[in-house]
Amino acid sequence: MNPTIKARNLRRHFGRTRALDGIDLDIPAGRIVGLIGPNGAGKTTALKAILGLSSYEGELSVLGLDPARQRDRLMEQVCFIADVAVLPRWARVGRIIDLTERLHPRFSRERCMHFLKNSKVRLDSRIRALSKGMVVQLHLALVMAIDARLLVLDEPTLGLDILFRKQFYSSLLNEYFDEERTILITTHQVEEVEHILTDLIFIRDGQLILNSSMDEVHERYVELMVRADQAEEARRLGPLHERVLFGRHIFLFDRPDDERVEALGELHKPSVADLFVALMGNEAQSGQERAA
Amino acid sequence: MTRRSLTTISTLLRRELWESPVAFMWTPLGIALLILAFVVFSLILGGRFDAEMAYTSDMLKMLAEQPDQQRRLIVSGMLFWISAIFFQLMLLIILFYLAGSLFDDRKDRSILFWKSLPVSDCMTVASKLAAACLLVPALFFLAIVLTHLVLLLIATGYSLVAGVNPWTTIWAPATLPRLWSVMLLGLVVQAVWLLPVYAWLLFCSSWAPRLPLLIAIAIPAGLALTQHAWTLITRFGLPEFNIGLIMLKRLGSGTLPMSANVQFDGGFDSIEFSDELFMSFSTTLGHLAKLETWVGVAIALVLLWGAVWFRRRATDG
Repeated sequence: MNPTIKARNLRRHFGRTRALDGIDLDIPAGRIVGLIGPNGAGKTTALKAILGLSSYEGELSVLGLDPARQRDRLMEQVCFIADVAVLPRWARVGRIIDLTERLHPRFSRERCMHFLKNSKVRLDSRIRALSKGMVVQLHLALVMAIDARLLVLDEPTLGLDILFRKQFYSSLLNEYFDEERTILITTHQVEEVEHILTDLIFIRDGQLILNSSMDEVHERYVELMVRADQAEEARRLGPLHERVLFGRHIFLFDRPDDERVEALGELHKPSVADLFVALMGNEAQSGQERAA
Repeated sequence: MTRRSLTTISTLLRRELWESPVAFMWTPLGIALLILAFVVFSLILGGRFDAEMAYTSDMLKMLAEQPDQQRRLIVSGMLFWISAIFFQLMLLIILFYLAGSLFDDRKDRSILFWKSLPVSDCMTVASKLAAACLLVPALFFLAIVLTHLVLLLIATGYSLVAGVNPWTTIWAPATLPRLWSVMLLGLVVQAVWLLPVYAWLLFCSSWAPRLPLLIAIAIPAGLALTQHAWTLITRFGLPEFNIGLIMLKRLGSGTLPMSANVQFDGGFDSIEFSDELFMSFSTTLGHLAKLETWVGVAIALVLLWGAVWFRRRATDG
């Protein structure tokens, strides 16, 4: 089967800034992919290219379609939430649902109402009268009521309280996701999504720093916690990153020599956030060193 | 056109109606109520000076004694004159609507929601144009029909009191079917005639970073002024191919279906006052036979293509 998203040497520049600097991607169906990167790394540019919202150079196909030319056909099978909630402020909730139902052949009103059931969003309120969080809830309900093959979420839970965030991710996983669908998420709240991701992509300066499945990530990276007096020994084994927590030194290793590392202290699986800091922060530091 | 795209365009038109109910529905209805209130108020006020309604009855009796041709001119002319108020405001509303139509959702970023729906940019632009050319005129036309009917009913009441036959005095001379169908045809022809103006506004609305209406006015005004300044300096005269005048004429002669029928070139003496002046299918259709109409349509198509082009890139960068 064709991959859901396939990109070869995807490029985009704004003046001299290279927002996307030759990206290759293959995302098959049935994955939940986290696209993580610092601000200005190219996340939004990449998502916009995938959604047919901006131009690009290189090859890109989404569900076998060319997003730049066939956005309207693509949107029958793809839905997205942009980084800020942007429902038209003049509309009433019920009318937005009516419009989506009439314009989208794969939208289900029943499912939408099901997702809205537990929220305080009322059908006769105007969007401009809703709180920011309620607009996001409505938008998420609209999007999840569409039987799409690719769901793109750009900071989907911004401005939501923790109860709704938990609930959202659990219904995303339990009620929405299946092996036919692909979900692509960007977020700064990495801790919240890391246990639902199947794949992890780190992006910085328009380039992919990491692109692998979570299983591979867990096989490859190991965190070692040692006492201060053993830190020097651990450093000799070539860690990617080192940090200090309560007097203990924590090292991150890429494919470590298991026995020698294990002998020094406790081993853990690194969290995505720690991995992010190690991989992105480290290179930034070494970059600065090189520059110096 | 497939059934799906028909549903899409009708849904998009409904969306326009939901977005601007004040401009599209309440304004024509408001004008209708205002006119009717004014008429009722004058009748009541008149009744206080004219206790037996002798004056009003005399007027109606005089009207009943006029020859056919004259009655038609008076009754249908008055109805037409009243509809002119609607058309003036309608054009104003359409111009403002078009200037904001592809701009407002870019400004508040709700364009991202609209772009998440399976609707092409071409369809979006087409829906805005259809709202300006069909939806708004249709709603204003309905308000005009309503105003006409209520006015004629009031007149019927008065003519019954005056002992005049309401059918021969008022309803027959009103020639409603002809009046309304010329008006409808006039609205369609007007839309074709003004298509370059509409398309220009859509075009500006699609790319202007801010104040699209101001930009849409400033560019042609600047162009015309530059041309005038240039010919004044170089040849000490007015330009022969006068861009500013061409644009003003287009807008001015397209304000009403009625005004389009009057050729001011020959002066007022040449105008023969009859209902043919404003109720003629042939003069209305005559506009479609003019070359300049179709030159305008060609310019409009280029501008619309430009509007779609910018719309496609509206979320870029």
